[in-house]
Amino acid sequence: MLKMTSVSGSEDLFDCILMADDRFHGEGYQEGFKEGTRQGMVEGKNHGATHGAKLSAEVSFYYGFAFTWKCLLQNNTDAKARKRLKTLESLTGFIQRFPHYDPQYENLQEDMEKVRAKFRQVCSLLNVPTDFREYVTASEGMSF
Amino acid sequence: MSWVKAVSVVGEDVFDEDEDDITLQNKEWNCNMEKRVKDGYRDGVDAGKEASLQHGFNAGYREGAAQMVAIGQLKGIVSALQCWCQLQQPDSTMLPPIGRLLQDVAKHEEALMERMKMRQLQPQASVGEITESIEDLGVEQGVEHTSGGGSCSRTDCCSKDCAQGEDQPGRPCQRSSRPSFNAEESLEQLLQRCVDLATQLVKLRTKLPGVHDQLTSTSSGENRSNTHSDVRPQGKPTAMTLPLLFLLWMPLAF
Repeated sequence: MLKMTSVSGSEDLFDCILMADDRFHGEGYQEGFKEGTRQGMVEGKNHGATHGAKLSAEVSFYYGFAFTWKCLLQNNTDAKARKRLKTLESLTGFIQRFPHYDPQYENLQEDMEKVRAKFRQVCSLLNVPTDFREYVTASEGMSF
Repeated sequence: MSWVKAVSVVGEDVFDEDEDDITLQNKEWNCNMEKRVKDGYRDGVDAGKEASLQHGFNAGYREGAAQMVAIGQLKGIVSALQCWCQLQQPDSTMLPPIGRLLQDVAKHEEALMERMKMRQLQPQASVGEITESIEDLGVEQGVEHTSGGGSCSRTDCCSKDCAQGEDQPGRPCQRSSRPSFNAEESLEQLLQRCVDLATQLVKLRTKLPGVHDQLTSTSSGENRSNTHSDVRPQGKPTAMTLPLLFLLWMPLAF
């Protein structure tokens, strides 16, 4: 192979070398790209799953909480209960319209903050401690 | 690029028949080309990763989010029942079983999260594994536990059985047909306990005081504690509300 290239002069030889250089690099690249794509999918998926799960668990918790309180209070007609119901409805309605399961939703973080704020408002109106996460943990600790 | 020089030298010296030299230069050539392949591979991996990371993240996010909806909502429901019960009847006999259920629901949620993290350590999750984990959630399983349903008139029989079952080798309560998730109760079982407790709460609230006291003889101060409350539902309609709630909730969750 080398004998043949030597006949056609040093410039062709140089081209040949550069081509070989590109070709070998390109071959490696192709294979690497396939492997990188696979790795990226796996890593991205794992990372995304944890994020999606955390956010979804939190939003779903708020939804279940507010929905249940709505059912518990819905037959009350006094002004206080009406105000509570209105706030609860605002929270459940907001969550229903909030595409928290969509990672490409542009206002994901902002809306999540709004949900948290509404939840804090609900807690204060219902006379349950504002920091609900701590509240849940505390009750877990004492029941066994 | 010394190897370029080396190759051109080979071209000039090719008639010298210096085999040792050629072999050496061939080796160098091969070594350099190997290096080029490796460099290309590394560049390819980086580019491939960059191209697919976001796509993978999005897919994983949706998957993870979908997995937590049901358990998250259940935790919210049980927490609301607990808060409500605490505010209405701080000494209610319903509170301990509600607390136990909440704890088990939280455990189940943690286990789901843990499984997701475990998958990070073993990245090659096949479609089969994912299907399996969906089945473990109890979504596709038939309900096996209708036998005890009729006799469930005591305040906390179902929940007590299940809560004790966690510590005993032979659990008296319903078992998931799949052994892979045996440390945890299935979502359906937790939901059933929640429905049972909610039904009990409603029953207690709609009983006449006399019957009520017989049922919950340990909490005699319960009725008095109701009087100061302002969130107490008025009249019987609540009796229909809670079971209805879970019927409404079911299609949402799955």
